[in-house]
Amino acid sequence: MDLFDNLVLGFSTALLVQNVLYCFVGVLLGTAVGVLPGIGPTATVAMLLPITFNFEPVTALIMLAGIYYGAQYGGSTTAILINLPGESSAAVTALDGHEMARQGRAGPALAAAAIGSFIAGTVATVVLAVAAPPLAAVALKFGPADYFALVLFGLIVSIALARGSALKALAMIALGILLGTVGQDIYTGTPRFVLGQRELYGGIDFVSVAVGMFGIAEILRNLENERDRPSVLDRVTSLWPTREDRRRIVGPIARGTGLGAALGVLPGGGHVLASFTSYAVEKRISKRRSEFGHGAIEGVAGPESANNAAAQTSFIPLLTLGLPAHPVMALMVGAFIVHGITPGPNVITDEPALVWGLIASMWIGNVLLVLLNLPLIGIWVRMLRIPYQVLFPMIVLFAVIGTYSLGSNEYDVYAIAFFGILGYVLIKCGCEPAPLLLGFVLGPLLEENLRRALIISRGDATVFLTRPISATLLALTVAALAIAAFPAIRKRREVVFAEED
Amino acid sequence: MRTSSTPRMIATFAAVSLIAACSGNGNGGAEGGDAAGYPEQNITVVVPFSAGGPTDTVTRMIADPMAKALGGKIVVQNVEGAGGTVAAGQVAQARPDGYTVLMHHIGMSTAPALYKDLGYQPLEDFATVGLVTEVPMTVVARKDFPPTTLADLTTYVKANSAKVTLANAGIGAASHLCGLLFQAAAGVKLQEVPYQGTGPALTDLVGGQVDFMCDQTTNTTGQISAGKVKAYAVTTPERVKSLPDVPTTAEAGMPQLAVSVWHGLYVPTGTPPEIVQKLSGALKTALADQAVIDQMAKLGTAPVAAADATPEAHRAHLEEQLTTWAKVISDAGVKAS
Amino acid sequence: MQRRRSLPDVLAGGIFVLIGGVFVVGALGYDRGTPLRMGPGYFPLMVGAIVAVLGLAIIVKGLVAGEVIPSEAVPWRAVVLIVLAVVFFGFFIGSLGFVPTSAVTALLTTLASRRVRLLTALAVSAGLTVAATLIFVVGLQLRIPLWGPGFVF
Repeated sequence: MDLFDNLVLGFSTALLVQNVLYCFVGVLLGTAVGVLPGIGPTATVAMLLPITFNFEPVTALIMLAGIYYGAQYGGSTTAILINLPGESSAAVTALDGHEMARQGRAGPALAAAAIGSFIAGTVATVVLAVAAPPLAAVALKFGPADYFALVLFGLIVSIALARGSALKALAMIALGILLGTVGQDIYTGTPRFVLGQRELYGGIDFVSVAVGMFGIAEILRNLENERDRPSVLDRVTSLWPTREDRRRIVGPIARGTGLGAALGVLPGGGHVLASFTSYAVEKRISKRRSEFGHGAIEGVAGPESANNAAAQTSFIPLLTLGLPAHPVMALMVGAFIVHGITPGPNVITDEPALVWGLIASMWIGNVLLVLLNLPLIGIWVRMLRIPYQVLFPMIVLFAVIGTYSLGSNEYDVYAIAFFGILGYVLIKCGCEPAPLLLGFVLGPLLEENLRRALIISRGDATVFLTRPISATLLALTVAALAIAAFPAIRKRREVVFAEED
Repeated sequence: MRTSSTPRMIATFAAVSLIAACSGNGNGGAEGGDAAGYPEQNITVVVPFSAGGPTDTVTRMIADPMAKALGGKIVVQNVEGAGGTVAAGQVAQARPDGYTVLMHHIGMSTAPALYKDLGYQPLEDFATVGLVTEVPMTVVARKDFPPTTLADLTTYVKANSAKVTLANAGIGAASHLCGLLFQAAAGVKLQEVPYQGTGPALTDLVGGQVDFMCDQTTNTTGQISAGKVKAYAVTTPERVKSLPDVPTTAEAGMPQLAVSVWHGLYVPTGTPPEIVQKLSGALKTALADQAVIDQMAKLGTAPVAAADATPEAHRAHLEEQLTTWAKVISDAGVKAS
Repeated sequence: MQRRRSLPDVLAGGIFVLIGGVFVVGALGYDRGTPLRMGPGYFPLMVGAIVAVLGLAIIVKGLVAGEVIPSEAVPWRAVVLIVLAVVFFGFFIGSLGFVPTSAVTALLTTLASRRVRLLTALAVSAGLTVAATLIFVVGLQLRIPLWGPGFVF
């Protein structure tokens, strides 16, 4: 019983006092920086990396991993409470989560997120322990053409994120992709749309777009009519999900976990795709489709589970192949090296205590996160009691500081103002920011893989149809586009009929 | 203070005190003085790449021992963008008082050829402090790629130049420069496939999507020893300890392919020479520190010899590299802006 | 949902056409390459055109059967002050240093609310500045000088 021995080894390592302690420090720090706008897990891991040089290697990695998945928790908290997604995947949580908070149901939203994340984290840890090598082998089969098809599929599916018009959602996705082209072209080095500013060579920062389109735009909307701003607390019904809520989140959690565990293995955009594919799936199969975007608890539980499952399984390429799937993983490769462990496929056989200790620690970390977060829910909800005149300046100030701290680049700060105004105007015109944000994150991957696939195939465009993975995904994309267009057509007919009556 | 009573603040402060406890050094900001009393305030070392990357790691390794030798404090600041030229441009304009120091790698010598309107000149706007380390590179291929030796590889890519793909980590990256040098040495023009950094490039190499590439030993050693990629040569004059079976490019018959990712420290021109000497002395002390040697060994590299950690040796190396890369890059017709 | 001629739809479409158009014009300045060997200009040109076409479609739809979107008056004071606050931060953080820049940014932002009195605004921004300094500079060890070289009394 190999797996059993490995798990015993893993838990006996992870349960050492200092490892549990630093696991706790990691998830606590992760939660804290996830909550602070701007500073994400990548920046935190980078800052703390030198401190871990003096730790035992396994302790160092346990703590760094804890920061990473802890931040996924923290990011959804701000998304729900103040509509400010810290990471791209949390943008999906903000859709229904913040709507629930406005209806006085921040407690159930946070609880659904925490419970979903815990279950997903547990299942994904098991997946990681049982099936890491075969999943890693599958991930390696994905070539550039397949990634292009996958990203295109994900983008089309994200039309479902919109409450309103599918046409506007499509336009927002395309606009996001377009904004993602700002910066140096990686193929030729040509700086594109940088207005002669070298600071823009690296492109527009995701955090600037998220803070502007979600944070600032939301604040401006709230300041439209201050007198009538409803006091959210007056309507707080219960901190915990009702029996009805609990019944409604079971399916989404299960499906989100499966989707997240599968997509998380793919390097690059895997964990981003996971959360919004889950949202799209839940919206499509739900009997209460009209509730989505207006505070449907399924729209919180599903994506949060998917996100957290993906956060766990995204360690698979790192642990089995030594290949980083995410900037945080790249930093962890650095940690391996500093501790004298050569990252690569041999780590799992050469350092079993380290790999299995890390895997076991992830489950312990998830337990710690639930213990940490469930009692915090009451406190978070009470945070909404801060007068808005204090809360919104705090959001703005912390967001600009956090954004600036990423790369000491003042253009990242100017971009916040630009996207704040753009987001405000577009939202007032009925265009929602979430699809734009996803287009912005995935657009560069789309272009990169499109061009890379064509370079490798020597300009043979049939490569997208001859590779089975790519062909299947493109067929699904066409189907998704048809499904998205169909209700719009049907609705128009209904409107026409209604007017005739 | 009104907001401090809120739970959000409490949670944040809890986290903050934890971080403070872990790292425990403050951050002052008094005005600077003259050379005799140097350093009287914190010295900022600007790293032109993201935190946690190889250059950042090297900087943080030597920062503490250097600070100890100087009797002051060093803070590391990451200023990213445009292949390191944003940071170099900032430091070039900084006050030449020794409190702003730049750590840069081989990119210092390639930027003038890659970027037009750079806004600074490496030799005129900077004073060199000393070299720090040189990281060797390896030529690696997917494991089922037909050639078995570097000579085979040269013949093979010449015969199949329309089919072979050469990956790199983006314009101006060490892997790109090494690839250019290989093409020049082999006398062949190949289809290059750029990636956003080394990680994705190596992933596609292991997955067999691209044929071969150059990369630093820090990234490739594990894949080579596990047999996931095939190694042809290391690009340094001597074999690398962690890869005893891999020949050098000179042994494999391509001595022109000599490249390493060298790092050096710079200050703005006009910095008092005594301060440059103090910094250089501290660098030498740091590089002789056993802890630094051990940590660098784990990275597959080593500190440069004490004679190279001097302003003069660094300047000579920089001049030589500027000439080399200007030719390689203009021959290849590459431009970043 | 009721559908008729909709000004917001036309405005939204106009924004898409404008931004898409700007990128298309910009992309014309870069090498396009061929569809099978794309240059840096190809992809932005294509996507810019798609954005502009979708924008046109939204305008047409807005004129025929648009979405009716309930709308409130634009809070001009907040728009101006918050943009000013953010831009101020970006422009002066390098020269003035952390504390003065944060204080001014916080004050400008606080004043964006129409219901705030000056004294309250001063108190709130002072509190936020202290909190931000403790969290970001003391706690997270941000490498930003507290008082910049450009700050003189």
